[in-house]
Amino acid sequence: MRPVAAASDPTKHFFQPIIVCLTMASVALTLFVIWISLHDLSLMRAGREKFVGLDNYIRFLGDPRAMAALWRSVLFTTLATVIEIALGLAVVLFLDRDFAMKRLVRTLLLVPIIMTPVVVGLTWRFLFDPATGMANYLLSLGGISLVDWLGSPQIALFSVLIADIWQWTPFVILLVMAALESAPTDPLNAARVDGAREWQVTWYVLLPMLRRALAIVALIRAIDSIKAFDLFYIMTRGGPALSTETLNYYGYIVAFTNFDISYALAIAIILTVFTNVALLTMYSVLFPKTGDR
Amino acid sequence: MAQLSIRSVSKSYGAVQVLDDVSVEVEEGSFVVLLGPSGCGKSTLLHAVAGLNPIDSGTIVIGDRNVTNLPARDRDVAMVFQSYALYPTMTVAQNIAFPLKMRGLDRRTSDEKVAGVARLLQIEPLLARLPRELSGGQRQRVAIGRALVRDPRLFLFDEPLSNLDAALRTELRAEIKRLHQSIRRTMVYVTHDQTEALTLADKIVVLKAGRIEQTGTPLSLYDDPDNAFVAGFIGTPRMNFLKAVVVDDGKALTTGEARVDISHLKTKLENGKTVTLGIRPEHLDEKQGVALPLAVDVTERLGSTSYVHGALPSGETVVAERREDQPRFGETITLRFKPGLARVFDGDGNRIR
Repeated sequence: MRPVAAASDPTKHFFQPIIVCLTMASVALTLFVIWISLHDLSLMRAGREKFVGLDNYIRFLGDPRAMAALWRSVLFTTLATVIEIALGLAVVLFLDRDFAMKRLVRTLLLVPIIMTPVVVGLTWRFLFDPATGMANYLLSLGGISLVDWLGSPQIALFSVLIADIWQWTPFVILLVMAALESAPTDPLNAARVDGAREWQVTWYVLLPMLRRALAIVALIRAIDSIKAFDLFYIMTRGGPALSTETLNYYGYIVAFTNFDISYALAIAIILTVFTNVALLTMYSVLFPKTGDR
Repeated sequence: MAQLSIRSVSKSYGAVQVLDDVSVEVEEGSFVVLLGPSGCGKSTLLHAVAGLNPIDSGTIVIGDRNVTNLPARDRDVAMVFQSYALYPTMTVAQNIAFPLKMRGLDRRTSDEKVAGVARLLQIEPLLARLPRELSGGQRQRVAIGRALVRDPRLFLFDEPLSNLDAALRTELRAEIKRLHQSIRRTMVYVTHDQTEALTLADKIVVLKAGRIEQTGTPLSLYDDPDNAFVAGFIGTPRMNFLKAVVVDDGKALTTGEARVDISHLKTKLENGKTVTLGIRPEHLDEKQGVALPLAVDVTERLGSTSYVHGALPSGETVVAERREDQPRFGETITLRFKPGLARVFDGDGNRIR
């Protein structure tokens, strides 16, 4: 039986209308998008659209450029998330001791997060300039042959990845550091007394305690990476030779360069479904129902 | 030979001296309690013994090994924490098995030992649960199990019962006592609760502000305290302290109207010297002896006995035990005590014997 207080809780009159409005808005929009994706609406042929059923979705499956973009999105998201989490965690474990200027270091870590993506993208474009960039200058000091960071189809995606890692690893650091500071220290001492070496204390006791925080940060980073657009737009515009074109970016090109609105929306729907399935799988792996609940 | 010897250990955090030249000898198989108010350094000392807190100077010897500079894992001690300090992501069985796993014990022996400890502590039904699914008392049992499973040279308890409610505390206290009697292992136990100290210890070390005030058996601290701090800290309700003046060439004291014979003291005191007279509440319920008139304020009835709170004509407040009657507010009663049971302390709080 429900408690009386919950049944007659007057605060529901405040949040229920908002939930209804938001639900209606998103359901209506989603239905409208699906409806349009079932037509062949194109701004080049205004007024001549007709219902085409699943044609746009079938077209997607047979579109090599779309499939390559989807693969690139998966690759970029996986690499960015894994590297940012691993690197962020390593930095947090390293920073978890008292040293001079710790506060300064922590403040400096915030800088990449605060900077707007446009500035970050431009800065990295300058750094990666094959002739005048800092990256190649540093390589030349080490006597290593120069790299065409953004001009080579094999390398450009990884150059954007480097910029993304530079900008978002500090975010991982901040959240994991907060989790670390709120974690109890007695179990770590207990493990030391129980005979664990420092790496065993970290591996068996500390990391499992941080698992939930790491999982949440990984989810946030994965969602952000799938949607990444700004760095690609500023650094490479999907090039060279489409080598950095993610599915998100391809959808933008289809919509605003080719004006093929229906196909662009079909791509958006596919991306959304794909993302949701991937994240729900990830979520159920990270938060098993029988485990930490 | 002592199982643990702490020799001249000092430690300070910045300008604060937490441990000041502390030396303690713990005999093999004995139960030693470090007792003191919060901030006296008792937990710091225990952490130093465990190897979790480096010390500034001094030596710590466990068995015949100088462990002063060894890390915690090489000291072969087990510790039970106030916060239980269970590994939150491991089940009870995994928690208890952790010290064995760290020592590379094979799975089958480890499982047998865990089962044995679980049987001893009656936590067998809990083995598959996670710590957060347990009550406070169950968690502390698991923590004790994790300490027991390894058979270490030394058990350290850091206020293990402080987070439990009163009934559980009494129950687990008896259980720890029983455990010590059955396994006869050396245990060092930190607490601020003098009842725990008196009931558990073979030997109590009373600490105050990083220094040892007195070391001795529970009864010797109770009957024969070295100073007013120990006298006041041990025993509940606490000892009454009254101002008194030496008269009759050091043969007696006067406190208010009362005259207390102190001719049994070996130390000769000068006339006119001000001292403190300490009398325990249970010693104020005599049929004869020195009389003190008490204006009753409050009577606490505990069933088997009562405690009367009130004031003497001098304004000093006194707590006295009454076994037979229960005086009410406003009454004036006469308390009597035997001079031989009163303790005398000088102006610095040191005992005059």
